[in-house]
Amino acid sequence: MHISEGVLSPAILIGGAVVTMAGVAIGLKGVDNKNIPKMGILSAAFFVASLVHVPAGPASVHLILNGLLGLILGWKAFPAILVALGLQALLFQFGGITTLGVNTMNMALPAVICYYLFGWSTKSSIKQSVFITAAFASGFCAVLVSSILVGFSLYLTGEAFLPAAKLIVAAHLPVMIIEGIVTATCILFLKKVRPELLEEINV
Amino acid sequence: MFKKNRDLCKRITFLYLFPLILLITFSAAPAFAHKVTIFAWVEGDTIYTQSKFSKGRKAKGALVTVFDMEGNRLLEGTTNEKGEYSFKIPKKTGLRVVLKASMGHMAEWKIPVEEIAAAHASQNKTPETKVIGDTGSPSNRAGSKADTEQPTSGSTSLQREEIRRLIDESLDQKLSPIISMLADSQDQDPGISEIMGGIGYIFGLVGVALYFANRRKTQEVRGQRSEVEK
Repeated sequence: MHISEGVLSPAILIGGAVVTMAGVAIGLKGVDNKNIPKMGILSAAFFVASLVHVPAGPASVHLILNGLLGLILGWKAFPAILVALGLQALLFQFGGITTLGVNTMNMALPAVICYYLFGWSTKSSIKQSVFITAAFASGFCAVLVSSILVGFSLYLTGEAFLPAAKLIVAAHLPVMIIEGIVTATCILFLKKVRPELLEEINV
Repeated sequence: MFKKNRDLCKRITFLYLFPLILLITFSAAPAFAHKVTIFAWVEGDTIYTQSKFSKGRKAKGALVTVFDMEGNRLLEGTTNEKGEYSFKIPKKTGLRVVLKASMGHMAEWKIPVEEIAAAHASQNKTPETKVIGDTGSPSNRAGSKADTEQPTSGSTSLQREEIRRLIDESLDQKLSPIISMLADSQDQDPGISEIMGGIGYIFGLVGVALYFANRRKTQEVRGQRSEVEK
């Protein structure tokens, strides 16, 4: 879902960059020693997840894990995703430097949305079944919203919105389900082994 | 009893399922790559292009647009089932072949003017252009060497053309595996060193961030201490 260089018009590139900068600023506010390693590990996970590819439709799609990042990091997902995407652009030529802002926004904004929608479920008082469902939904929705945002970015450049968005959403449907499962598994695992990782989020 | 069973189930899930999922996802990693690539080469008076997502997944039905170096659009078309698209050289300039696949994937390939000029020259049968072509491709050099050995007359010019055509053909044939090899090498998957490098970068950044966060904290502590001493 990385948008390549030269596809989008400058206005969208700048718009995406501004949103990303704002998100990173909010994310970096109040970062302390406890959060930094967490952000680093999840950033690395996000960085590697994009290399796991699933063939679907006319393009190959890959794991994204932005739902997981959003659930654990909240707004801090913005800097984590920015770092991972920047390294992917530099090392693998996925996406590009000029599209970094838009790509980060497309990945990190859904993460934050999922944090607000499902972040309550990570508290220890919540029943396990509810918690698993919410984690699954978080992984699922993050990819869904990302697909819609990518479709929307392409639409603003002149591509017809509905076909583009439909194609992207349809292609990512298997990924959404896989993401949901992976997110639920990871969160469940973390809750078992390191519950304090999930408890200590303050936006 | 029931509760025990459930606990066991959970334990199994964590002990086996989680590593299994990780293993499955990561072992699938090299199978498919992300970006799209296009590779174009000149053969005779035709330009062939090959487009694909990495690891041989062909980019079917993707839009190929051809520009000259000034950015004027010359022609466009869509790739076939094999991700290939070919067209006659539209203009004797450098060409920029741009591929637009779905979902915002884009790639381009530049064909320098020399390649096209050389191809043009080898197609032209007149002796004047042959001299120009001489500086270009090796096929022409070989052709003109054959020329100089022949005395020039009406009947030999036909022979010359024949020889050049044969050489061109056999060269194209001989070079085609090399060209396809080149096309394949265009889409290198991120290697393990790049992946490790990226992870290393991230951990390095964590280290730097922690250093600064810690320094801030120790400075605060020091400040408090000095206040207490006062």
